[in-house]
Amino acid sequence: MPAEIPVYLFTGFLEAGKTKFIQETLEDPRFNGDKEKTLLLLCEEGEEEYDPDRFYDSKNVFIETLDDPEQLNEVYLTGLIRKTKATRVVLEYNGMWLVQDLYNKIPENWVIYQEFLLCDANTFLSYNQNMRQLVVDKLSSCEIVVFNRAPMDVDKDSFHKIVRGVSRRTDIAYEHLDGSVEYDEIEDPLPFDIEAPVITVEDRDFALFYRDIAEEPKKYDGKTVHFKGMVALDKRFPKGMIAVGRFVMTCCEADTQYMSFLCNIPAGEHPAHKDWLEVTAKVAVKNHPLYKGVGPVLTATSIEKAKAPEQEVATFY
Amino acid sequence: MTKIDIFSGFLGAGKTTLIKKLIAEGYQGEKLVLIENEFGEIGIDGGFLKDSGVQINEMNSGCICCSLVGDFATALHQVIEEYHPDRILIEPSGVGKLSDVIRAVQSADTAGAVLGGFTTVADAGKVKMYMKNFGEFYNNQIEHASTIILSRTQNIKEDKLEAAVALLREHNAQASIITTPWDQLTGKQILEVMEQKSTLQAELDALAAEIEHEHHHHEDEECCCGHDHDHDHEHHHEDGECCHDHDHEHEHHHDHDHEHHHEDGECCCHDHDHEHEHEHHHDHDHEHHHEDGECCCGHDHHHDHHHHHADEVFTSFGRETTRRFTDEEIRHALEALDDTEKYGIILRAKGIVQGADGQWIHFDYVPGDVDVRHGSAEIIGRLCVIGSKLNEQAVAALFGLN
Repeated sequence: MPAEIPVYLFTGFLEAGKTKFIQETLEDPRFNGDKEKTLLLLCEEGEEEYDPDRFYDSKNVFIETLDDPEQLNEVYLTGLIRKTKATRVVLEYNGMWLVQDLYNKIPENWVIYQEFLLCDANTFLSYNQNMRQLVVDKLSSCEIVVFNRAPMDVDKDSFHKIVRGVSRRTDIAYEHLDGSVEYDEIEDPLPFDIEAPVITVEDRDFALFYRDIAEEPKKYDGKTVHFKGMVALDKRFPKGMIAVGRFVMTCCEADTQYMSFLCNIPAGEHPAHKDWLEVTAKVAVKNHPLYKGVGPVLTATSIEKAKAPEQEVATFY
Repeated sequence: MTKIDIFSGFLGAGKTTLIKKLIAEGYQGEKLVLIENEFGEIGIDGGFLKDSGVQINEMNSGCICCSLVGDFATALHQVIEEYHPDRILIEPSGVGKLSDVIRAVQSADTAGAVLGGFTTVADAGKVKMYMKNFGEFYNNQIEHASTIILSRTQNIKEDKLEAAVALLREHNAQASIITTPWDQLTGKQILEVMEQKSTLQAELDALAAEIEHEHHHHEDEECCCGHDHDHDHEHHHEDGECCHDHDHEHEHHHDHDHEHHHEDGECCCHDHDHEHEHEHHHDHDHEHHHEDGECCCGHDHHHDHHHHHADEVFTSFGRETTRRFTDEEIRHALEALDDTEKYGIILRAKGIVQGADGQWIHFDYVPGDVDVRHGSAEIIGRLCVIGSKLNEQAVAALFGLN
């Protein structure tokens, strides 16, 4: 196994300020002061250009450009590492390419250490409305989103809602025109009480609940939850196990997916495929082959037939 | 007959601003429906539309994956049946392919509606960057456009504009390109380009016609009194100056079909209905409809015309350019055209180009007579030269064009 290559990933649309941000990062001795060989991999060429002479250590930064998404493959990228002898990668990604593709295509020993999303506060709302899929893709895995060139009176609520609709973990920062930086500190309490003896999830909150448990399963380990979901049966399931969940729509009909939990049901119960159930179950976060890893496995103490919720497809409001 | 105009272009290119200008200044008197498939940055406000009597239909979408699925065809049919508009303007998603929209409209199979112009709006300062980084959908919007309208050209330098036009030309050799800042143009001028009335070829044809006209001494256009004509002759139209109300049908042997609608504004006396049969040695079919709006007296003509293009006899040279000139440069170049050995025998030269100071230079040349003056803006700089044994390369070089 070749040595692990840390990747610092910068995503965002054209003119979001990626180049400037990376330029400043490489001018900073705290990042670029240890003589570490860095591959600066560019998948986009905007108006701003790099000025390697101003990097803190320009001798150890090797700039390579990818013109074609096809070059995003293990062989080509490993070749670049061999050629430059770099031990880490700073990657400026193309805003029109899916980040999900990058995760699938980079060599196995490349590990994303940090993922930054940079946005121009002046175009973000329009881009979100018109290129929702690409915005969701970029918001879903980044650790921080920075809204550049934000007016002092930027409408933080709209930005916050969009970001939180996709990810509860991402930090949100605003960089104002005068260079000052402000963090988003709007809290969003979960709409259900996670400390209650039985965590009761209303129909309208299912998508939020599902995302929260997927992001932070440990929080729910050992707890009891109550929610309404639809049954799915599969012949791969062991006896006494069903899947229960709902169709969740993130941005539009095309991305609607059935999001479900594996659930052991009490003996003697035989719900049918597509039945709606009120489920009360205890959560155990553990390895399960059907999850291909660790996930929340439910053990129901009771299931009851129920009517379908008013809005069958769950959304983030 | 409803005409369907499509406006594509990336987010922020200025589609909405353009549509507003066209509604206010270009589409006057037409019953319009606007179908939006994009959430505009500058919402077209209700008040403005109410005043203009425009019906808006928003298609719900918002992401690439569903930009055109669903009930586009149904929506289109509904709009036509419900409103019987003269014109439907479609503003599709800025990140979609123009060819998909065209196909969607075609496959909607709307009886009673025809496709009009496919216009792509592009931010002049971002052509290179977007082309390089966006790839497919952006290039598709350029490649399938019948007219490319550049926005914010006043904010970039001459050489950058020239480079942008060259890049666009690599992807689309045919489209009309508008490079003049929009505030110098009227919506009507822009619409004429979109309707393929204002093209370099049209300018060349008009100039050739003028020459031929002089050769044949036919002046039937200048007739201004009431007759009933039914005659065979050769003639050429200069639409803006004619005094008839025409309804012509031209048939050319070209291998595609055009429909041209001419609306001549300055007509003053006749109401003609004539059919021309023009025989050209091209292989495509045209249909020209001339609808002169302000004519004031009524006649019915039936003409059969036979004419020949001047370009069968002469060579014509035409160029569109974003280059800026000074009056002196133009004057010197025109005076130099008298050198027949170097440039050939020039019969006429004519053009409108942007001046270095931002004013527009209009010029005319006949041997021994040079006229350079200032006038209104053209959609892009254009110059036309007609003569025999033209040395095109030398002429191009004379005007600093390569």
